[in-house]
Amino acid sequence: MSERGLRISNLRASVDGNEILKGIDLAVGPGTVHALMGPNGSGKSTLAFSVAGHPSYLVSEGSATLDGEELLGLAPDKRAKAGLFLSFQYPAAIPGVSVANFIRTARQAVHPGDLTPAKFRALIFEQLDVLDMDAAFLSRYVNDGFSGGEKKRLEMLQLAMLAPKYAILDETDSGLDIDALGAVGASIDALRKSDAGKDMGFLIITHYPRILQHVTADHVHIMLDGRIVRSGGPELANEIEREGYDGIREQVAASVG
Amino acid sequence: MSVSSETAVGGLGRAALEALLARQGEGSIDAATRFDALARFEELPVRSALRGGRNWKHDLEKLDLSGVATFDDARASAPLPALPPAAASAGVTIERFSLARNRHRDAFERRFGRAVDTRDDKFASLALAFADDGVFIDVPPGVILEQPLVIDYVAGAAALFPYTLVALGAGSKASVFERLRTLDGAPLFCGIAELLLDERAELTYTIDQRAGQTTRLLMTRRATLGADAQLHVACAELGGLHAVSRLRATALGPGGRVETVALFFSGGSQHVDIETETVHAAGNTQSATIVRSAGTGRGQGRYLGNIKILAQAHGADASLRDDALLLSKGAHIDSVPALEIAANDVRAFHGATIGAISEEELFYAQTRGIARADAERMIALGFFEPALSRFPTEALRAELRVVLEAKLAPPSSA
Repeated sequence: MSERGLRISNLRASVDGNEILKGIDLAVGPGTVHALMGPNGSGKSTLAFSVAGHPSYLVSEGSATLDGEELLGLAPDKRAKAGLFLSFQYPAAIPGVSVANFIRTARQAVHPGDLTPAKFRALIFEQLDVLDMDAAFLSRYVNDGFSGGEKKRLEMLQLAMLAPKYAILDETDSGLDIDALGAVGASIDALRKSDAGKDMGFLIITHYPRILQHVTADHVHIMLDGRIVRSGGPELANEIEREGYDGIREQVAASVG
Repeated sequence: MSVSSETAVGGLGRAALEALLARQGEGSIDAATRFDALARFEELPVRSALRGGRNWKHDLEKLDLSGVATFDDARASAPLPALPPAAASAGVTIERFSLARNRHRDAFERRFGRAVDTRDDKFASLALAFADDGVFIDVPPGVILEQPLVIDYVAGAAALFPYTLVALGAGSKASVFERLRTLDGAPLFCGIAELLLDERAELTYTIDQRAGQTTRLLMTRRATLGADAQLHVACAELGGLHAVSRLRATALGPGGRVETVALFFSGGSQHVDIETETVHAAGNTQSATIVRSAGTGRGQGRYLGNIKILAQAHGADASLRDDALLLSKGAHIDSVPALEIAANDVRAFHGATIGAISEEELFYAQTRGIARADAERMIALGFFEPALSRFPTEALRAELRVVLEAKLAPPSSA
């Protein structure tokens, strides 16, 4: 029970009556980076939303614990307070709420009273610098009219400012140009080297291996049709690059048959 | 109860008007004009646009004003806005409305009644008949007033009929705050504001209505703009039992610009009716209308927004954006934006949305650790921001945010 890590076991979940996750087992330890790779429709984002508690995703079986605490059944904000963070593939816009106000409110919710306003300011400016963004960004409305790159940078800014124990990054690399991808990679890198981030566990969900050139994964998992079909070390990402998901699918079919 | 039984006259008929005149004289509006206006109030129907329907709780056709007292011994007149010494020496006039005609006859008669036409208007006629308080502001050409002029209208146990007349000479500039407040149990505000902008004048007119829960409001505001004049109206209707707030701005000269911003929030069993109309009567006139409304509890609201571009208004540019947020199942908001365009070479845009807070926004905020109720409040406050940010002065914006937050707070913590 008290085993550390973001531990997902036998997770089954459905959306609109269709079972998408068909028994997922996955454990992300503190300070480790796991990549979850798979083609579109394999259920990667469903896993992210189910663990984060999206109301449209119905979990029928299994568990997801964070350092021993069961997440399933908790409201999404309680899961965040337990130490979970989800970086969205398509973050919602909240017009009229400034980035600064949003992050301040969120930080206060997950780590009440732990930063003086001056320290909060210092920290957020430091992170803006890492992400190569200027202070004007803070007074813009959350994701309102943001480019794809700006949205992902804001996700990374929140990740750094909220300092969770475990972060699920859902397709953070999709739709990014080289510069934005570099900034995102540098941000994760800086975070992992910092005191606040050195024990952070990451589950990086991605379609393409290219973000793994910026962030080295300790473990790679391949997901097909709602199941994890292969797990291995970083070399598995190279195999996907060579064989494509169709190649992996054929191997899996052959081994089952 | 502060109403003296000897002086109070219930109902808004001839007897009440005679009593009012006996008590305080004609003021700036002569008796014949008042009695004519009263007759029109009694005869004219409620305009179809303001009629009930759709189970509105408050129906103007059934409005019963028979119990309303028209004066109140305890009432003090609105304090006149303080005028900076420099403005006084520049010839700016600020006068109690009732004394304006006697003391500033030429200026008053040149301005009075130029923007408001009460002939076919039931409630403006009522306001004209009983006008018993108010302020006349006359700014000479070229004079710039930096400080906002604040007019406080406070209604008590009797109805209040404020008349605000603001005239800006060519190239002058001013900012006026009209604040409507009430004492406990205030029954009615029925008033008129006339805003007259000569060419190149610039007026910021801010309406901050926070009447109590028993008060009906029937307010008619009309503005006219000369060439290249600019009018910015920001109107917050946050109080009252039933608030009817109508604004029409007419750009008479070429190059005039009108910005109209309105926000309203009906909670409990409040009903808010806002009507804005911008008339483009000359070429190259511009207007922008931004409306944000929300309803909670069993609050009801209605927004009628009209942009009228007359045939001679070549090159007119108009936009109207109206968004409504429903925060409870019992709340109801109707939104009717309209464009009437008689000219060819114009740009006109209107858009409207109505809906609840999106689940995706709520989920997103919740994944950041923000509890659902807090996320709802934050998102709802943010919803008002595009309108709120157009109000003058940070102090006022901060005050309005506090009022909005209080209305958003669930009853348990209110």
